[in-house]
Amino acid sequence: MSSNILAMMLGVSTFLGALGLLALLWGLRTGQFDDQEKFLESAKYDTEEELKDAIALEKRKKKIIQKKKKKEEKNYSPPD
Amino acid sequence: MAKVICDHCHLEFDEKVMIKDEVNGETLYFCCKGCQGIYHLLRSEGLDDFYEKVGNNKLEPPKNIHDDLHKFDLEGFKNKYIKEKDGFYEINLIIEGIHCSACVWLNEKVLHQTEGIIEATINYTNNKAKIVWDPDTIKLSQIIEKIRSIGYNGYPYDPKLQEERANKARRDYYARLLVAIFATMNIMWIAIAQYAGYFTGIRSDMKNVLNIAEFVLATPALFYTGWIYFRGAYFALKNKFINMDVLVITGASLAYAYSVYAMITHTGEVYFDSVTMIITFVFVGKYLEVLSKKKAVDAMDNLMGSIPTELTIIKDKEKSIISVEEIEEGDIIEIKPGDKIVIDGIIVNGEGNFDLSSLTGESEPVYKKEGDEILSGSICLDAVIRYKATKNFKHSMLSSIVTLLEESISKKPSIEKLADTISGYFSLVILSIALLTFIGWYIHGVGFEKSLIIGISVIVIACPCALGLATPMAALIGINTASSKGILFKEAEFLETMAKSDTIVLDKTGTITEGKPKVINSKVLHPFDKNLLYSLVKSSKHPISKAIVKYLKESDENIKEYYLSNLKNIEARGISGEYKEHKLFGGNIELIKEIGVDFDDDINSTVFVFVIDKKAVAYFELKDSLKKDAKEVIKEIKKRGIKPIMLTGDNEKVANEIAREVGIDEVHHSLFPKDKADMIDKLHKDKKIVIMVGDGINDALALSRADIAISMGNGADVSVEVSDVVLLNDDMQSLLDALKISKKAYATIKENFTLSVIYNSITIPLAVMGYVMPLIAALSMSLSSLIVVGNSFRIRKLK
Repeated sequence: MSSNILAMMLGVSTFLGALGLLALLWGLRTGQFDDQEKFLESAKYDTEEELKDAIALEKRKKKIIQKKKKKEEKNYSPPD
Repeated sequence: MAKVICDHCHLEFDEKVMIKDEVNGETLYFCCKGCQGIYHLLRSEGLDDFYEKVGNNKLEPPKNIHDDLHKFDLEGFKNKYIKEKDGFYEINLIIEGIHCSACVWLNEKVLHQTEGIIEATINYTNNKAKIVWDPDTIKLSQIIEKIRSIGYNGYPYDPKLQEERANKARRDYYARLLVAIFATMNIMWIAIAQYAGYFTGIRSDMKNVLNIAEFVLATPALFYTGWIYFRGAYFALKNKFINMDVLVITGASLAYAYSVYAMITHTGEVYFDSVTMIITFVFVGKYLEVLSKKKAVDAMDNLMGSIPTELTIIKDKEKSIISVEEIEEGDIIEIKPGDKIVIDGIIVNGEGNFDLSSLTGESEPVYKKEGDEILSGSICLDAVIRYKATKNFKHSMLSSIVTLLEESISKKPSIEKLADTISGYFSLVILSIALLTFIGWYIHGVGFEKSLIIGISVIVIACPCALGLATPMAALIGINTASSKGILFKEAEFLETMAKSDTIVLDKTGTITEGKPKVINSKVLHPFDKNLLYSLVKSSKHPISKAIVKYLKESDENIKEYYLSNLKNIEARGISGEYKEHKLFGGNIELIKEIGVDFDDDINSTVFVFVIDKKAVAYFELKDSLKKDAKEVIKEIKKRGIKPIMLTGDNEKVANEIAREVGIDEVHHSLFPKDKADMIDKLHKDKKIVIMVGDGINDALALSRADIAISMGNGADVSVEVSDVVLLNDDMQSLLDALKISKKAYATIKENFTLSVIYNSITIPLAVMGYVMPLIAALSMSLSSLIVVGNSFRIRKLK
């Protein structure tokens, strides 16, 4: 076995592991692990409905942002 | 009468009082209009599977909706609580009335369905919510209204005060710990290959690859996780002393630097695995410390949650309900019978009796009128009163408990400080030994690499180990265990002092006794209808009336209440009323004399006389009763070689009687606050270490002079402020628990020291002689730390 293969294997596995770690750290930094009980409790209600709700919220946010942009564009009058 | 369950809140009531409702041929029962309203609302919104999710959990019936919605849209409110982000508003709320996870689900669901809300998350652990909304679509008052419409309530809090800081620290340390663990785990399996290669031979190019991989993993562990130690060491050196951080970081950095040298020059072995392991294992200890601080913050939030958050104030002749934090000096506050006062003030309108037992220790209620001062902690018994606030909420008692908690987690006990100075010298000695070892071996001619490795082993093995962890671990677990039992140690130091004490001085009223009277003797002078007396005393909330109600109920189960007219409270003396043509009076001897009734008053204790038509028909003698377990606790205290002494402002007869009952031999009676304090000084002169337990303002002076001052949680603000330990449960059992925990914690600290000294005196010589390689040193070091931590956890096992 050449050392290149070893280096590649080590590199890839460490990189993949590091990706996982980074994801975990990102989750931690954004406060997703602040609520210990949520892991068990919210699993009970995690249905398709919740997913639809989450999508609806996202859509609503986008819509509102778009509306705001439009409003700004309307108010914006280029200098003559 | 059959009991039925309300279909919304699941509380049980008599069928008679329930509201019946027919829905699709099904009969439903509701305990109130509020529950009925919510049920129908949820059904119409298609959210009725909430009831499936809630199971058999009981909910709180909705409260009357306050008329204060407008305050949420005020500019001042917005500036204080609302954050603006990309044109969206964000607020943190505590949701009141959440009982189970289904409640969280319902709140989130309802908020999600509300137009204009773009984010709503509720924490399952502490019921705190974060809501983000578009201010152009919906107003905050409408959001709050929505929450209230389903039977909950939300009030804002400022996360910047406590939570954010604690959360940030926890996240930061957790992130560092995760990186360290990741590095350690991965380095371990690379190290296995390294060790296998060491013993069976390995190609140098292979070894090189492994070295580089280890280098990549060890670097973040040392510089990211180990940053905490670099920082600690920097501050220590800047202030010209050496601490454990210096030792840890010297060992780790030396090993790292040598390994980098070995990796680049392809000579010798690398020790990156030791570097990460040293950092990781030591860091676990630090993380535990931060975690306990976060828990303390949660405990603080819970404490804050237990006090009323809103009060009625009168402004411009209009009533409004505002949160206690917003009350300023000069605001007019209205209180109703049974309300607990949370803010100090002066009465401007109304008069009534106040239960000051938690402040003064006196069980007799005190009559207060316009111009009199009322203190937070007292309870209004029988009147609607308006008073002017003279202090704001921050200076009230519960806020000071929170401050106590904060202090107790940030201050270090003196024995720990001692350990810090010892560890400073210790670090210096170890560094010198390591240096000498290195020089010694180098001169001996084993080569640079081997000498350096042995030197590093010495540093690593002596590392923070038991010594550094010995006191903080035991103190932390001691304080934690205590607080889970409702005992707050203001500083960890007091664990030690309390463990060494030999005298305990107890106040009588409110400490040994309940501070609530109980009927001990009754005599009927002329036969009469007991229901009359029952109806009369039932009308008053005075502790003496309550005691008599309880007594009458116990002696006769079938006692009935009549309708009495003209019921009146006679200030601080008794009550009167009329039944048909009969005039009824009940009260103390003063009242009896005042209305001109003959009564033989050869009684020492508190007495309540019942008079029908100017004839005394019965009297009741009342006495304060001992607290639960008082006798057993005093016995236990004596068994532990601590001498109990009782001090009281009460008269000789009462004092001696209580002392005899509870089993205390030394009693001092008829004392003024100053006398109590002098007693403590006298004990000090006899070289005693004194614990003082008290609850009232009258004890505050004595408390401040004692070595350890323990106060009851619902005691006066002042006594809580001057005391070192607060018993939140107000009972004698907590006192015994506090003693037990302090003794155990102190013993554990000593054990930990002994263990670490033994450990070091065995391992350091071995390391100096070169029998230990760095990895083994790191392992055995963490083993010793584990022993210390495990030993400290034994404090928790206390019953």
